[in-house]
Amino acid sequence: MNPIDDETLQAYVDGELDKPGAARIDAALAHDAALARRVQQARDLRAQLRAAFDPVLDEPAPARLSALLQPRSAQTEIPAAPSVLPVGGRGISTTRRRATRRWFVPGAALAASVALLAVALWWWQPGDDLVRMQGGQSFAAGALTHALDETLASEPDAHAPVAIGLSFRSTDGRICRTFVLRSPPARAGLACHSDAGWSLPVLSAVTPPEGGGELRRAASDLPPEVQAAVDARLRGNVFDAQQERAARDAGWRQLPSRRGAGKTR
Amino acid sequence: MNSSDAVREGLIPLLPRLRRLARALAGQVADADDLVQIVLERSLARAAQWRPDAALDKWVFAIARNAWRDELRARGRTQHLFAPEESGEMAADRASAQPAQQLELAMALAALPPDHREVVALVLVEGMSYGEAAELLEVPVGTVTSRLARARATLQAHLGKDA
Repeated sequence: MNPIDDETLQAYVDGELDKPGAARIDAALAHDAALARRVQQARDLRAQLRAAFDPVLDEPAPARLSALLQPRSAQTEIPAAPSVLPVGGRGISTTRRRATRRWFVPGAALAASVALLAVALWWWQPGDDLVRMQGGQSFAAGALTHALDETLASEPDAHAPVAIGLSFRSTDGRICRTFVLRSPPARAGLACHSDAGWSLPVLSAVTPPEGGGELRRAASDLPPEVQAAVDARLRGNVFDAQQERAARDAGWRQLPSRRGAGKTR
Repeated sequence: MNSSDAVREGLIPLLPRLRRLARALAGQVADADDLVQIVLERSLARAAQWRPDAALDKWVFAIARNAWRDELRARGRTQHLFAPEESGEMAADRASAQPAQQLELAMALAALPPDHREVVALVLVEGMSYGEAAELLEVPVGTVTSRLARARATLQAHLGKDA
């Protein structure tokens, strides 16, 4: 009899073979151990792929994905997506994606962020004119304070030394903003407003992009420990442009108006 | 109910399968969920193009596949979606819940050429028929079967080597 080629065998395993073809293989399996082994291997592979990926079906979806599927009336409470992020001319496939990249940070990264905070604080040594230490805490100083106070992410300046990313209300009610220091050594962090100034719960070195290209990072591509810090504090959603402006005009103290929160598209 | 609401409501029960498909295509959790977000946004934006007599899952999966291809093009890397140093991150994502062999398999899948990876994802992970996959990919059924057979051979060789 003719040997059974891989495509026929695969069709048999996948239930795609017509009845006479399947019957022919059924008959051959009875006395062809090598064929039986090939069939088993193909079945095993299929089963292993299911075992590898089916658990995703039971994972809870990240809130940012579920939020997109909320009815519009609910979206005013839980707006769909960050909207203050700088949007270039490259369209959804890159800009939007980069803007929201890695918002879902696994729990392990949260734990890692604690360790990295120590490294980051070491990196951000006292004496740096962009940070000051007070009561064992890091606070923004100088040009960083100015940028956090004044700069709107909705009005990005590609040449400014500090790029502002997301602004949002933290779970403790304070307003927090992510930022990137562009001049080397590039660093990124999270700043949360308080009466004593902008405290910096997380600061981290930023790895320059491959190929030594210009560092253009803002809210996108934050280091994982910064994203973890954001994730741990984020309640609801990041501010849109109107909310950001309203928060600035209120001195970063009051809850900004929710108007316009539904206009995320 | 307008088409946007119909698509939105239809997407809710599809989300787990969409995330599974995205994971098989993109590999890493973060990349996969970024892909899912793009797919949801595009699906909602194009809701008017969906005809209620068409299966929503296939329509959405086609958007997912095309979005994934767009991503690959945008990155300019057609073979490896993630750099070697990032594979440790993927290992960390999965190590707690998955046996080493499944991790090996997921990484072998991620190393396949896109043409092969997508047929594996559609047929072996999502469970589409060859005909459905061919329609989605807009290629003849014979192309699906030959790509799938080659992808299987690669994956099996990889697993055999590590076993």
